[in-house]
Amino acid sequence: MNKNIILYAAILIFGVAAPFVFPAFKVQLSILCILIILAITWNVQGGEMGYNTFGNILFYGLGMYLCASVQVGMFFPLAEWTEGGGEKTFVHTPAQFFQGFAVGLAVAAIVPAIVAGLIGYSILGLRGHYFAICTLGLGVAAGEISGGIEIIGAGQGFTTPPFPKVGSLEARGEFFYFCSFAVLIFTFLAVKAIYSTRFKLVLNAIRDNEDKAEAMGIQTMKYKIIGWMISAFFCGLAGGIMGGLVGYIDSTDVAFDGREMGVFMVLMAILGGKGTLWGPVIGATVFHIFKEGFWTFFLGWQYVALGVLIVVIVIYFPEGIMGWLREKYPERFGEVVDEADRKAQVELK
Amino acid sequence: MKIKNIIITFVSAIAILFSTSVVSLAKVVGDKIILGAAISLTGKYSSNGVHTQNGYNMAVDRINSMGGVKVGGKTYMFDIIYYDDESNPKRAAQLAERLISQDGVEFMLGPYSSGLTKAIAPVTEKYGVPMVEANGASRSLFTKGYKYLFAVLAPANLYLDVAIRTAVELNGGKGVRIAQAFEQDAFSQDVRLGILDAAKETGSKIIIDDKLPKELNDMAATLAKVKATKPDVLVVSGHTKGALTAIRQIAEMKVDVPMLAMTHCDAAKLSKQHGANSQYALCASQWHKTLTYKDDFFTDGMTYDADFTKEFGYAPPYQAAESSAALLVFKDAFERAGSFDQKKVRDALAATNMQTFYGNIKFAEGGQNVDKPMVLFQVMCDDAGKCENKVVAPLKWASAELIHPIPKWSDR
Repeated sequence: MNKNIILYAAILIFGVAAPFVFPAFKVQLSILCILIILAITWNVQGGEMGYNTFGNILFYGLGMYLCASVQVGMFFPLAEWTEGGGEKTFVHTPAQFFQGFAVGLAVAAIVPAIVAGLIGYSILGLRGHYFAICTLGLGVAAGEISGGIEIIGAGQGFTTPPFPKVGSLEARGEFFYFCSFAVLIFTFLAVKAIYSTRFKLVLNAIRDNEDKAEAMGIQTMKYKIIGWMISAFFCGLAGGIMGGLVGYIDSTDVAFDGREMGVFMVLMAILGGKGTLWGPVIGATVFHIFKEGFWTFFLGWQYVALGVLIVVIVIYFPEGIMGWLREKYPERFGEVVDEADRKAQVELK
Repeated sequence: MKIKNIIITFVSAIAILFSTSVVSLAKVVGDKIILGAAISLTGKYSSNGVHTQNGYNMAVDRINSMGGVKVGGKTYMFDIIYYDDESNPKRAAQLAERLISQDGVEFMLGPYSSGLTKAIAPVTEKYGVPMVEANGASRSLFTKGYKYLFAVLAPANLYLDVAIRTAVELNGGKGVRIAQAFEQDAFSQDVRLGILDAAKETGSKIIIDDKLPKELNDMAATLAKVKATKPDVLVVSGHTKGALTAIRQIAEMKVDVPMLAMTHCDAAKLSKQHGANSQYALCASQWHKTLTYKDDFFTDGMTYDADFTKEFGYAPPYQAAESSAALLVFKDAFERAGSFDQKKVRDALAATNMQTFYGNIKFAEGGQNVDKPMVLFQVMCDDAGKCENKVVAPLKWASAELIHPIPKWSDR
């Protein structure tokens, strides 16, 4: 327990100090936080519940558009803001900016959760590949639909409110970094708390054998929907922050970016080890560092390098980094290994 | 509990990685002026990204070989740091941040496309980094009150409005029936707004108004409607892929329409790729080699065309020409500012009033170039099947007469 506290304290100190120690990397660090949030939330659905979804990008994009729309709409007419070639320029005062962003984030979390509930009610009856393919369609459809809605900028995209002039030049980066870091901590603690309850066991039961779980009297549908709603809640938050951070929302390239973010969140969770608390965190961190590295050193080849990474993960770490560690050092995970028994098993094989 | 140790090691490893990779390059190192640019080297805009990069490189080589930039009695050479934005606005914004805060770049060149420029402009604006861009034409870029953004090109809404006005004129001043299809991206949607304005003013009617997806590979549904409704003008805009797809499918489906107006014909090398099928297509262009503008570096359009073809093996589309012009603007501004102070360079840029081989350049309050009209050219082929782009409007530069209406496929 003692070591745990040291670890959390170390991470907290690192997180708080990071933007000041590495001021040039604030944006990368903020994106790292967002990626970790996405990986953790995907893991709730894909790892613990065993429902591999490509649809979480829907909640992320929804959160992004909602947060920006609320932030603008609270103070100015949204249609005039997003009108193509609009001649009017609106400027948020600092108070308006932050109030709008706070309310926007709340909406960006709650609405996607409700949407997840509604969609989940209709499609969580599907299982396995059918569910995965169905959710794949969700993100694509959302991208195309939002690209046609004039009030959120349609194909023109949506420029989010510029950061007001407060503090130094670094204020914007620091603000978004601490926002994402705070949400990351909130997400981690919330998910950690959830994982210590019976709820997680129910999710695991659904993953391991849904029919049996049902036979035991668990209302699987209810739990599946709640699981997805939790996922959507945090995804929406992450999207809301990301929209403000990027400053420009495009329907298919930034918001409903299934080809990148949608796939990345799955990849990160699998890389780290799905079905574990720390797996997605480690996976996202490793992934982000690799990606940034490829980007710097293999300009033009970054996607090839990324592809090779995926192949390596699948071949050598099918259970992810955490799974690999667990197999290698089971005793460190609190598993008791009977050496004689293990040998006997090896010989049997 | 060793697993926690692993995590701790991991966190410190990241810390070390981050701390060792901080490389700070100043904007001016020795005799070099380092400019930063995020370019689409991969992804859907990659072909135009390469045109942009070639245009930048061409101008850098030329300016450096002709004596460089003279600031405060010293001579400096241009150098550019490139990153690949993967045609993704999210990445572009991140790269701009990285160029400025990590690489220490203090002057930027623009990316390719309006969407990416929209993503980068808030960042350069925040840091007060002057950016001369050559490929972001969306009108909404120039109404946001940006002070450090300068575009050498005419805004997107002016691209095809000449085509509509010409069609109306040829129709005896009566409004025409327009069918239009635009990709869902910032640039194409802005071209669309221009058409809407022109249609309203000329009393024309829009009978088909389709939105096409990005990564445009099929527009058969729109063309089927065009076949059925027989409009007077068909307008298509969707970057390079849009132009290629439109020509391919119009030829396949034998769609007859009196006027076909498009963008990006030269970037797509239409006349080369589709030969006679692309004949009669009317294209909006920021530049054409036959225009009679002049400067000291590239002499004129024809010389630029020859030099560029020699160096890169293909004729320069306007995307390359305008990119080269961006460097000329920077050079001029540095020399007039006589300093590398960002504010002074910004003010010098705002006061730009010059002629380049690409056209006159003078910036309005919003940063757009107001001194250079668009031209329209038409793809024309001779009997041997060799096709060429010839300027047909405005009349001042026209080297051929507009062929209207386009002959039916059955008569070709």
